Amino acid sequence: MTRWIIPVFVSLWLAGCGEQAWQTKDISELMPPLAFELVDENGNDVNADQFLGKSTLLFFGFTHCPDVCPTTLARLNAATQRMDEATRDDIQVLLVSVDPRRDDAETLRTYTAAFGPQFIGLTGDKEAIDELTHRYRVTYGYGEKDNNGNYDVSHSSAVFAFNDQGEARLLIRDSDPMDAVVADLERLADDA
Amino acid sequence: MSLTPLASLPRLLRPWCWIFLLLIGTSSALSAAELKVNEARIRLLPGDIPAAGYFTLANTSEANITLIGANSTAFGDVTMHRSVNQDGVASMQPVAQLELAAGEQIEFAPRGYHLMLMKRTRALAIGDDIEVTLLFANERQQSVMFRAVSPTTQ
Repeated sequence: MTRWIIPVFVSLWLAGCGEQAWQTKDISELMPPLAFELVDENGNDVNADQFLGKSTLLFFGFTHCPDVCPTTLARLNAATQRMDEATRDDIQVLLVSVDPRRDDAETLRTYTAAFGPQFIGLTGDKEAIDELTHRYRVTYGYGEKDNNGNYDVSHSSAVFAFNDQGEARLLIRDSDPMDAVVADLERLADDA
Repeated sequence: MSLTPLASLPRLLRPWCWIFLLLIGTSSALSAAELKVNEARIRLLPGDIPAAGYFTLANTSEANITLIGANSTAFGDVTMHRSVNQDGVASMQPVAQLELAAGEQIEFAPRGYHLMLMKRTRALAIGDDIEVTLLFANERQQSVMFRAVSPTTQ
C-alpha cells in the first residue's frame, strides 16, 4: 500500500514548486509587447512607453456602448477593489475607443472618471487604431445608422493584460471567474 | 322605448350582464397586475453618455404578451437592444419586440437584453427614481420606476 504514497507525494511536491499556472489565458508567447501612438483623454499625444512601470490592462470599446463596455469596466473596477491599495496602484486600465468620431477627449475623460482614477481613455485616427487592433489581432467595425443617426460599433470583448515592462501576459475574458481575475492581476502586479 | 341599458333583457339576467361589463371595464387594470417587473435599474453614466436599463419581467397572466419598446420623459431616445458576443467580438442588435408566453419570465441584464437610454432631457443623479413606461402590443403599457445606479454596479 505504501508503494504508491511516495510517488504521489513527490508529484504533489514538484507541482507545488513548479511555476504556478495563470488561471486566465496565458498569451505570453502569442502576443507582442505593448506599442501604440494614440491621443489620451486630455488631448495629448502619447505612446506605450509612457505607460510602462505599471501593469496595464487594455480594452477596446467606445462610450456609446451602454451594456458591454461599462459591464467590463465595472468588473475590472470590482477586481481592483478587492486588492490592497498598493497593488491597485500598480494597475492601470487603458480604454482605447474605436469610435473616435463620437469619443472626443472630453467625452472619454468624463467616461473613464466614472470608473476610477486608474482608468484612462485613449483614441486616435483610424490608422493609429488599426495599427493597434492588427497588432493584437482584434477587429472592430461600424453598424448602419438608425433613424436618429446612432450606430453600433462591434469590438473585441476581452481584456489584454501586460506586465510593467509592457510584455503581453494574459487575455481576460467575460467567462473568467472573478476569483481567477483577481488572483492573476494580483500576481501580475506583484511580479513587477 | 326605455333608454335604460339592458332593459330588454330578462330581469334575472341583468345583474350578471352588469358584472360582465364591469369585468371588461377593469380588464386593463387586471392585466397590469399580471406583469411583474423587478430589479428595475438604470446604470447611469455621467454627462449625456448613453445609459442601460435592466429589469426582470414576468408574465404571470394566462396569455402571451409582446414587449415592443419603452419610453421615458427623462430620455429623448429609448431603444431595446441585445448584446451578442460572437467569437470574442461584442456587438448590439436592435430588438423590435419580445414575446413572453404565459408564465414566462425574461431578464434584461448585463451582456444580454437591455434598454439603451439616450439624450436625457434633464439632469439625472445616482439614486434618482426615473419613470419608464414599458410598451406592449395591443396598446398596453406599464409604468415602472427605475432606480439610477452607479456605473460600477455589477
